[in-house]
Amino acid sequence: MEHIVFFTLSAVILVSALCVVLLRNVLHCALFLGLALLGVAGIFGSLGADFLFAAQIMIYVSGIAVLVLFVVMLAGSKSMLHDKQTNDQYMPAILICGGVFWGMWAYIGKFSGVTASAQAKPTTALIGKLLLSEFAVPFELISLILIVALVGAILFTRPEELK
Amino acid sequence: MTLCHYLVLSGLLFLIGLFGALTRRNVIGILMSIELMFNAANINLAAFNRFLHPDAVIGNAVTLFLMAVAAAEIVVGLALVVAIYRNTNTIYPEKMDLLKG
Repeated sequence: MEHIVFFTLSAVILVSALCVVLLRNVLHCALFLGLALLGVAGIFGSLGADFLFAAQIMIYVSGIAVLVLFVVMLAGSKSMLHDKQTNDQYMPAILICGGVFWGMWAYIGKFSGVTASAQAKPTTALIGKLLLSEFAVPFELISLILIVALVGAILFTRPEELK
Repeated sequence: MTLCHYLVLSGLLFLIGLFGALTRRNVIGILMSIELMFNAANINLAAFNRFLHPDAVIGNAVTLFLMAVAAAEIVVGLALVVAIYRNTNTIYPEKMDLLKG
């Protein structure tokens, strides 16, 4: 059962990620990005990270994917739907990716055969305690980053006559 | 399932994102590829947390921070895309050549 869930989610993630990268129609790419992020949420679920599962759906799928769709609609032109969307550097890109994978494989191989020792437990209460004790300073800093990003986004996109 | 399965999955997802960031002609496409790479890193953090330290949740907490940083990054990036599109009427990086004079 675990295997079926994992391999189905993996197939969904990898196929839709390939669609994000290879398709011509930017609108379809944005929709497939949402599907890939949803698959990652499922992987979090299978890893027993229940809070991350919810956060992934709330932040990524319903926040970032929708935002990307907004910008595709806002800054897109009709030519973006059928023009070639990739440059001619795919050969060097494949070589770089192959090199990176070769490097990764040396480390991934060290973890073959590591299985989960204990049953997954609910994590929400533990994360809440951690964020308000040990990680209190980063937690406050991240709220500062978010407010700065919000103000920056408004500053960049305000109409000309307000400047 | 072993840790290796999850690492291979996140490695492949990272490589697809890297390939997209290198070959996309379109700023929005590049930003989407960067999101894929962020997600690969998130899967890794959650997987290491689950398999190597099942009693701790620090990996999950760091993943939450990463999500917040990714959200801030995409918001600022897309705002820049909209601002550039207004000024130059293009979203293709090779056509953003104002600095060439």
